[in-house]
Amino acid sequence: MDATDPRGLVGELALRQLDAAYNLARWLLGNDADAGDAVHDAFVRALQSAHTYAGGNARAWWLTIVRHCCFARLKERSDGRRFVAIDQLAADLGEAAVQRILPKSAADGPEQGAASAQERARLHRQLHELPPEYREVLVLREIEELSYREIAEMLSIPIGTVMSRLSRGRERLLHALRADAARSGERP
Amino acid sequence: MNCESSRHLLPLYFDGELDPAASRAFESHLDGCAACRQALHELETLRARLRDPAARFAAPAALRARLAATAPARPRMRNRPWLALAASWLAAAAVGAGSAGLWQDRQHAVQAQAQLTRDLFAGHWRALAAASPVDVVSTDRHTVKPWFAGKVAESPPVHDFAAQGFPLAGGRIDYAGSARVPVLVYRHGGHLIDVFVLASADPGLPRQAQMRGYGLRTLALGHATAAVVSDMDEAELDRFAQLLAQGETAAPAR
Ligand SMILES: [Zn+2]
Repeated sequence: MDATDPRGLVGELALRQLDAAYNLARWLLGNDADAGDAVHDAFVRALQSAHTYAGGNARAWWLTIVRHCCFARLKERSDGRRFVAIDQLAADLGEAAVQRILPKSAADGPEQGAASAQERARLHRQLHELPPEYREVLVLREIEELSYREIAEMLSIPIGTVMSRLSRGRERLLHALRADAARSGERP
Repeated sequence: MNCESSRHLLPLYFDGELDPAASRAFESHLDGCAACRQALHELETLRARLRDPAARFAAPAALRARLAATAPARPRMRNRPWLALAASWLAAAAVGAGSAGLWQDRQHAVQAQAQLTRDLFAGHWRALAAASPVDVVSTDRHTVKPWFAGKVAESPPVHDFAAQGFPLAGGRIDYAGSARVPVLVYRHGGHLIDVFVLASADPGLPRQAQMRGYGLRTLALGHATAAVVSDMDEAELDRFAQLLAQGETAAPAR
């Protein structure tokens, strides 16, 4: 392989930013199987288009590809192929099921971690129930730490739209969490 | 600034999207407005919950292995692509900076500056691609500073900025040209920050540079120069550079 082969660089970048890619895909698609497949598609595509990378934030470039592959999958889904979204299933089955499918420590909690696992489950459910355009900017800004400009470029929308979606998304999420906490009589 | 007009600035302030002057103006409103402070606190709490690493979906190990297996084969020296790419990017940057018709020595200066800048970016990328970006892993500056003794001519001053969100991660020795230089490594969220401590007060680096989403900031550190390289966003990079400069004026607590 040529030492200047950009595919080597892109492969490294994608693997280094694999958690970010997976987290985004998981939030956009709602289940592990689709998220894994979308990230795999994105990886292949990133390697193929490595030579077209023209500079700028490499992470944002990679996440843009991931996002495209997620939407391709969503389209496939709505075109007839049926997938059962695990989150949807969990919402039907209730909190216990949600906790079983949550990442990492959520399900393994001895009683000390139980409260925070429940809190996390609640946050996950409320974030998942947000309209996708709000959920997406929240994930990109709050979890993946992209700037307004980077998000605007990724989504091909004006910065003003990023700002309004972010504000509304935060508002709705805070409101939902407050209502949720009030219902269960706990602190938010 | 009244509360209504400042309320729409709150998210911008919170997201680091205000310029320094507007930030200061907003902060002076914040000092006198409990409602805005409460709203800011809510945003901070929400962010902390969303950013909790345990709440983030991590890529399954099987997926990682599957992708690593299909990744292009690495060349014999695993760090070569980074270096080669860094070189080609820097060559492009140098061409951009040194348009035709400059004096010969100016050309040399530009080339030397580009060369050093390249070394720093390349050092950072190499560290990112390596198994570990640090040779000595420690969050304790009293461990990191003596580690440098004997390895480089002068141990750099080491400060921890954990309280400000930039915990010390360790240190390593890297090369800038043919010189061995100490590098202090910090973390900020998922970002890695390299601080190259160059012995010269004027190594001829640009005050700032940007390349492929990575930024460089240069600042004076006593009679030495610190070059900060990271992929943090610009505002955070500036904030860290400022802390570093202040850390130098404040006497290190022994
Ligand atoms: Zn106010």
